[in-house]
Amino acid sequence: MEALRSTVRAFATRLALVVAIAAGGACSKGKPGAAAAPAAAHVEGTPHTDDVLDAWKSAGLKPEGFAALTPAPWVATYCEKGSVSGVDTTICEYADDGAVDRGQQQLKAEWERAGVHTGVAIRTKRTLLSAVDHQLSDPNGKTINQLIQAFRKL
Amino acid sequence: MRKILMLIAGLTLVFASATAQATLVHYMSQHPLPRKMGGGFCYIDVPHVHDFGPSDPRMYRQIDGQYYFVGDPSPFNYDGPRTPYYGPHPIAEANVQFGRPEYCYLQGPHYHWYQPPPQASFEMRGGAYWYTGNYEPAYYDERPRYYGVNEAYAPIVYARPVVDVTVVPPGFHGELVGGGPGWRATAVIGAPPPPMVQVGVGINMGGPPGAVIVEHDGGRHGEWRGGPPPHGGWRGGPPPGRGWRGNPPPHGGWRGEPAHASGGWRGGPAAPQQHAGGGWRGGPAPQQHAGGGWRGPAPQQHGGGHGWKR
Repeated sequence: MEALRSTVRAFATRLALVVAIAAGGACSKGKPGAAAAPAAAHVEGTPHTDDVLDAWKSAGLKPEGFAALTPAPWVATYCEKGSVSGVDTTICEYADDGAVDRGQQQLKAEWERAGVHTGVAIRTKRTLLSAVDHQLSDPNGKTINQLIQAFRKL
Repeated sequence: MRKILMLIAGLTLVFASATAQATLVHYMSQHPLPRKMGGGFCYIDVPHVHDFGPSDPRMYRQIDGQYYFVGDPSPFNYDGPRTPYYGPHPIAEANVQFGRPEYCYLQGPHYHWYQPPPQASFEMRGGAYWYTGNYEPAYYDERPRYYGVNEAYAPIVYARPVVDVTVVPPGFHGELVGGGPGWRATAVIGAPPPPMVQVGVGINMGGPPGAVIVEHDGGRHGEWRGGPPPHGGWRGGPPPGRGWRGNPPPHGGWRGEPAHASGGWRGGPAAPQQHAGGGWRGGPAPQQHAGGGWRGPAPQQHGGGHGWKR
């Protein structure tokens, strides 16, 4: 009986080890820069998402939770999504002007399908800003307008 | 049978919800928020969408499927920059392109959030910008359609800009109105027409007569369009073919009465009095020309006796 118990304990320990290794491997694959999934690159010649976030911070806004979207939506090359004072905000960088136009059309079609309380899409060079207020967080649009004002200066 | 009907109803519901599209309303710039949305003002000054329509379409212009607010933002808890205007004028917001001339038809003193561009024909006098350029034909063509903005504002009582109408620029072609609900003109005066300098035919260097007016019965004033007004007041330029040169024409056109309780010249031949507050600065009333005929911009008659408004 004791022999059976020790055999089961040993099997359980091995199983836990295998699961831990497998989980560790899976996590490492998700890290940006890993060989299996190369991180999306920024687009040169247009304001980067970091520039936009810095501009907002300088304007007294508090961007939160911005992270890269993989794959980038709306035919963009690189996108980051987060929120500013409850407004869902996505910044995307595009390879060319045609892609920006197509991306903007797709974005607006998505709004038409899903519905938004307030939505703004505005571009500076080949960077597109999308600000959507789903929850009436910004009823008079002052936050959105601040986002736009700072973005337009880039 | 009942089960089949229920199944069809259920499938219809599922299909309808799957294909339903949100109704989004497109706005070009800032605008008031409807009361059902809590009222107030939306400060987004670029094209954007909402899931609600405008509270009063008379205060908007629809351009390429987008609503543009053409009214005075003041009554809607607006706390942004405001620029005072007097009378109708082209809409001249720097960031907004309409692709065609669009006009604000608000009478009397009012505010907008934008300043006129430096190159446009606006003159700041007496505390407001006055449009002193010529109106495009579109102004007259669309006036009957868009004049309703004044009716939309009629019941709204709010602080209008204080404008000294005694210093109306000679080039102003709009109407001087005495007041409306909640506001009143600041002066009751008469001013003679400015002297006219004519260069050839068809060039009017002097413009239409200056201000005469105003003290009025609030609200109804703007509705007068026909015969002699109850208290006088110039309503535009001379009538077509009358040959007016500053003195009262024989029939219509010049609407001012020669006498007024508050004094002041009203278009008669008497030499004008100089006003301390500015206003008319020219010489005596211009003389009648033998040749007759209006020499200024081509006058037009509009809207069943509304008078010449150019």
